[in-house]
Amino acid sequence: MKHGFREPWSIVAWFLAPALLGLALFRLAPIAIALVGGFTGTRLTGETVWVGLRNYRRLVEDPSFWNAVEVTLLFNLIVNPLQIVISFGLALLVLRPTPLVPFFRAAYMAPMTVSLSLTSILWAILLEPTMGPVNGLLRSLGLPPQPFWRGEDQALATLIGVASWKGVGYWMVFLLAGLLLVPKELHEAAMIDGAGAAARFRHVTLPLMRRPLAFVLVADTAANFLLFAPVYLITQGGPAGATALLMFEAYQAAFTYLDKGRALAISSVILFVIGVLALLELRLLRERGG
Amino acid sequence: MSGSPARRLALATLRYAALVAVATLLLLPIYWLVTASFRPSADIFATSSSFGWATLVPERLTLAHWREAWSGELPRAVANSLFVALATVALGVTVNSLAGFAFAVFDFPFKRVLFAIVLATFMMPFESIVIPLYVLVRGLGLTDTFAALILPEVASGLVIFLFRQFFAAVPKELYEAARVDGASWLQIWWKLTLPLSGPTIATASLMLFVHQWDAFFWPLVAAPGPERVVVQVAVARNVTLEVANWGGLFAAASTAILVALVPFLLLQRFYLRTVTAASER
Repeated sequence: MKHGFREPWSIVAWFLAPALLGLALFRLAPIAIALVGGFTGTRLTGETVWVGLRNYRRLVEDPSFWNAVEVTLLFNLIVNPLQIVISFGLALLVLRPTPLVPFFRAAYMAPMTVSLSLTSILWAILLEPTMGPVNGLLRSLGLPPQPFWRGEDQALATLIGVASWKGVGYWMVFLLAGLLLVPKELHEAAMIDGAGAAARFRHVTLPLMRRPLAFVLVADTAANFLLFAPVYLITQGGPAGATALLMFEAYQAAFTYLDKGRALAISSVILFVIGVLALLELRLLRERGG
Repeated sequence: MSGSPARRLALATLRYAALVAVATLLLLPIYWLVTASFRPSADIFATSSSFGWATLVPERLTLAHWREAWSGELPRAVANSLFVALATVALGVTVNSLAGFAFAVFDFPFKRVLFAIVLATFMMPFESIVIPLYVLVRGLGLTDTFAALILPEVASGLVIFLFRQFFAAVPKELYEAARVDGASWLQIWWKLTLPLSGPTIATASLMLFVHQWDAFFWPLVAAPGPERVVVQVAVARNVTLEVANWGGLFAAASTAILVALVPFLLLQRFYLRTVTAASER
């Protein structure tokens, strides 16, 4: 970033303005709308009035909001470490470019082409309790069929599994990119010193993977924190609130109950968490290499 | 790498077994969905509830579900989504590469602050602002327009970052030589650096295209009318309306998957390369 060309603003602005105006209008302005709108309510006449902390006070007193917070936290505490471990494993699996590995790399990225809403539809049908092929497979193996999405105890675990089916190949790319940058010479030197595969992984690979791992951890958490499509399309938050993630709660406030103030208050809570995650990411990334 | 030949062979076998197992888990569901869309309804249901060879290998094939899917709102939805995605790619590559160029090449006041804001927006997933953005877009009177679907997705912190990383790696002398030859900065961006940045353009295009083609939450709220329906929303509507018509749903879903597969297969080899290059610096 140092020693660029010094040009007057009149020239630089031509390059910067379109993108920065877009970001200001469609990324930053909505944040302001959420933060301010969380303190407003809508009268029956349609006019917007200032209500102070009322939306937030109602959220705090609302058990369904706390259930959504709880479900969202539980979901994220499991899904993010799980996806990172799996995608790291996949990246290591496809690291050495032996025959057919390019095919497997592409194959693992293939679920990227299935959108989250299609993933939801696909797995709603695959895991359909009576007609679905997964229960068909279980029956043919002599195992009892499972309720999956319809089981109060299984719905969240099913959601975690399906989100991971879609996600691990995507995050694998970032970790694979990091692994490809680990200098071969370091491994060779460690091998000459007699380090085994496990020792080389711990002392050579892992320290150099801190940046990509930190990036994936935070970006993955942000993505999963906002999961919406499967909940909307399959479970509608059920059964008995077992999959009521916060984003769905915000959607319902805005479009089912038409309570704009509440919807924007929940959006502010979500943005606050995302902001904390972003700060954390900047910190983790800055610790190395500055 | 180490150990006796027998041990090495065992490890390689184990590795390929794992590779195949994961690939099966990831690809088989997609394969099943696409092949089932070509089967008569009776066969879909009969072979899925009792699993066997016939679950995976269709015996009878039919185009009935595809004909049915394509006679509804799907063609309009595909056209709308293609238009939205391609417009976003064209505008997005232009706008974001301009900004990436400025951050890589120029020195200007507030550069660090502005770049930090760009990075911050790229760490902020789009879904987090869907509801306030809806309030904004409705206030501007843009609901159910192409503008509402395209414009919010054009400027992208991640794409600006990718271009900046690429342009920053171009030797400074190249820019200096072009300046001495009397080229304007806009000419340098357009004629010198953009032609060099093929892989970055490919990756950015793939990201923007797939992002728009896959978009569900935002179109669901920003364009709920039938005129501007997009492909993901159109497919999802089949689920709620006709639960028992798996064939039609599968044909529509296969359409959406296959269209996304084309740019993926064309551009995926650049994708890993660009992500690697961007994380290097």
